[in-house]
Amino acid sequence: MAQGRIRGKAQLSVYAGLIVLFLLPLILQRFYIYLLSTILLTGLLATSLNLVLGYGGKFQFHHAVFYGVGAYATALMLTKTSLSPWLSFIVGPLVSGFLSLVMGLICIRLSKLYFGMLQISLGSLVWIIVYRWYSFTGGDDGIHGIALPDIISSPNGAYYFTLIVTAACLFVMYMIIKSPFGSVLQGIRDNPIRSEMIGINVRRHQLLALVIAGFFAGVAGSLFVVVDNTVFPDMLFWTFSLEILIMCLLGGWFTFLGPMLGAAIIIALRTFVSTYTSYWALVLGILMVLVIFFLPNGVLGYIEEKIKKGFIEPVIEE
Amino acid sequence: MLEVKSLTKSFDGFKAVNNANLDVQKGEIVAVIGPNGAGKTTLFNLITGILRPDSGTVHFKGENITGLPPYEICRKRISRSFQVVNIFPRLTVFENVQISILSRERRSWDLFTPSSKLAVEETDRILENVGLTKKRDRMTALLSHGDRKVLEIAMALGGNPEFLILDEPTAGMAPEETSRCIELVKGLSEKLGLTILFCEHDMEIVFGIADRIMVMVRGATIVQGSCDEVRCNEAVQDAYLGGSDVCLM
Amino acid sequence: MDILYAIIPPRVLSQILVGLSRTTILFIVSSGLSLILGVLRIPNIAHGSLYMIGAFMAYSLSIFFGGGDLGFWMALIGAPLGVAIVSLVAERGLFQYLYEREHLMLLLLTFAFSLVFGDLVKIVWGTEYKSVPVPQMFQGFVNLFGGLPFPLYNLFLLIVGPIVAVALWFIVNKTKIGKIARAAAVDREMVGAVGINVSWVFAIVFVIGCLLAGLGGVLVAPTVSVTLGMDHTLIMEAFLIVIMGGLGNIWGALLGALIFGLAQSLGILIWSQFGIIFPYAAVIIVLLFRPTGLLRATW
Repeated sequence: MAQGRIRGKAQLSVYAGLIVLFLLPLILQRFYIYLLSTILLTGLLATSLNLVLGYGGKFQFHHAVFYGVGAYATALMLTKTSLSPWLSFIVGPLVSGFLSLVMGLICIRLSKLYFGMLQISLGSLVWIIVYRWYSFTGGDDGIHGIALPDIISSPNGAYYFTLIVTAACLFVMYMIIKSPFGSVLQGIRDNPIRSEMIGINVRRHQLLALVIAGFFAGVAGSLFVVVDNTVFPDMLFWTFSLEILIMCLLGGWFTFLGPMLGAAIIIALRTFVSTYTSYWALVLGILMVLVIFFLPNGVLGYIEEKIKKGFIEPVIEE
Repeated sequence: MLEVKSLTKSFDGFKAVNNANLDVQKGEIVAVIGPNGAGKTTLFNLITGILRPDSGTVHFKGENITGLPPYEICRKRISRSFQVVNIFPRLTVFENVQISILSRERRSWDLFTPSSKLAVEETDRILENVGLTKKRDRMTALLSHGDRKVLEIAMALGGNPEFLILDEPTAGMAPEETSRCIELVKGLSEKLGLTILFCEHDMEIVFGIADRIMVMVRGATIVQGSCDEVRCNEAVQDAYLGGSDVCLM
Repeated sequence: MDILYAIIPPRVLSQILVGLSRTTILFIVSSGLSLILGVLRIPNIAHGSLYMIGAFMAYSLSIFFGGGDLGFWMALIGAPLGVAIVSLVAERGLFQYLYEREHLMLLLLTFAFSLVFGDLVKIVWGTEYKSVPVPQMFQGFVNLFGGLPFPLYNLFLLIVGPIVAVALWFIVNKTKIGKIARAAAVDREMVGAVGINVSWVFAIVFVIGCLLAGLGGVLVAPTVSVTLGMDHTLIMEAFLIVIMGGLGNIWGALLGALIFGLAQSLGILIWSQFGIIFPYAAVIIVLLFRPTGLLRATW
């Protein structure tokens, strides 16, 4: 069948892409490896947001909180305890997941915009605590020069660690989306009332989705510590959350790999533009306006539409 | 099987349902009729838990289900279709029905089994039953209105119900679609032995398939009985025809 | 007076007054935001940028007219008008084509605008801090309640707040445009069907809302340093106020601003390091008990 063929091709290109990503450190300079690591972990973050946004239909406006908290939890464990550093990479995401559960329990009853705004409010509260609690979090300076296990402290080491973890996380998220839970989640997104009427406890499913998304955002945060050896409060400021939203939208928020693509485009562009001008925000703003007007389904959404049109006969009702 | 007693619900002081009573025996097809705004859909929403009644009770197979959330009521094997098409527009026809089955099988918490391999046979059987097999892999947003209404019923069937509530199953359908739909509903009752409660504007359909009829006016049950009883009931004629002496139909 | 001080210590009393003058600014800005949310359904993040632009324009106008009292009054009139023109251009040029889109898109579009506005401000006014002098006639203090020193300018703010509230009430409830706007908020198509040019009504409402953001910017300018980034803090506060008060409800915005302003100023007294937590906590508590805000939302 036509669709099977598309799926086969897509799978093949994912494998090919992975192989290329594995080989890249052989030819690329240090700086580009660092850039690639940043893209991968930010893409992971955007994908985790899309789990609740594109697939779950929840207005998760302040996703960066879980990213930042995961990063801080990892960083604090690495700097303030003598426990195994590897443990901190698990604790970080778990703390994020737990925070997501708590915030979710508070917000979940609200719908749409109210949900998003209460979440921003709670998230801002977390941000303030991180920002003001000098003795514990380092306040607005953050924490710098975090020591890592030797194997992942070199740029290449950090890159491979990021690549493997990101690929594994994306695989797990893909499984989740394709699972019964994923189907149900998309059903809830499309029509919560109908979902209840076929026997689904809507809030509990959404809550689990929030926790999963929070957990993977925490993973991305931990990876940021590995790649940048630093954490700072801006990681969980609300403007960054909207930037992640932009990545999802730009890449295509009804596609699985769209957010990753969006992250890649935005980070690469920012790096490129910043070498010429300090007005990156202006460029991003204009880009956003263009996307909203001309590519409302994002880059990948647009491509997907084109491919589907090519394969499937136009639907005409008899 | 289903017993509704003096159910009441008001919105901002307006009594949408005011003392509704209903009795449905196992295996019956019961129709609820009444002029526009009589509170038929509100009654269905009250029975299925989408709204909570202000007072009154709903019993199903002897068990009090008043005020339970919809998902609990669905698990008692009561399914419904909606008047305004209420499906998952971004999913395919197949997935729409499949979700319903997965939910019934309590598999919705399964995170790691690909759902493309689950409940395939049963989904296909239901699609076959309702005649949507050809459109199995279409996005439901692209279906015709009639097909969407049929899909509504198919989704309700995914819950393997004993008791099926259909809110104007043929509303907005073309004539040939309508007759197909009526055959389908009749078949469900005859072949699967489902108990069916439905409301409908088209009197021809109502009198064609209903065993008994309940008439609602301004939120209240004014009569419940066999077709013939209802047809010549004075109160019903008042409500529908402004008190003329002709029997309905 | 002694009785008053016995009940409320002077320190608390003066902090309450500071909170109330902060409330004025918050109310003016968030009432504009609420108006736009209620009628046009746009969660306008660029509202904060317009507030910032208002403050920067106030700085330029006050310099242009010699920095004295004249400068202040010219700024008070000129800057909101300037902001109104900017917003009119944005509305006619882009926003009007997007009213039917999803909220998420509108939110991101307005965020894009706030990014663009932020950089434009950087281009026009540079990155340094700017300060707008308090006009001569409002310099100094008055002694309130027999001895409590209170800045004259804050007193001025306390007077402006109610004036704006009344004016807004008048526009929304007593003028034709207000009535049409309220009808359009409930049923857009119906208003269009009776032959009213809804598009222009929306434009006017949008401009009035933005004008209020600009006015807030001018009024705040003498009390703070005018700087890039002032939009980010304020827009978040304004959004929370609007949510707390009930989307689209102007009195809700007033109530929300009161709670927020007072929680902010009193919070600092209670716990100076984390005092800033209190207004956010207030929002959370309100929404836990009233998930759709204190007063009836227009949504």
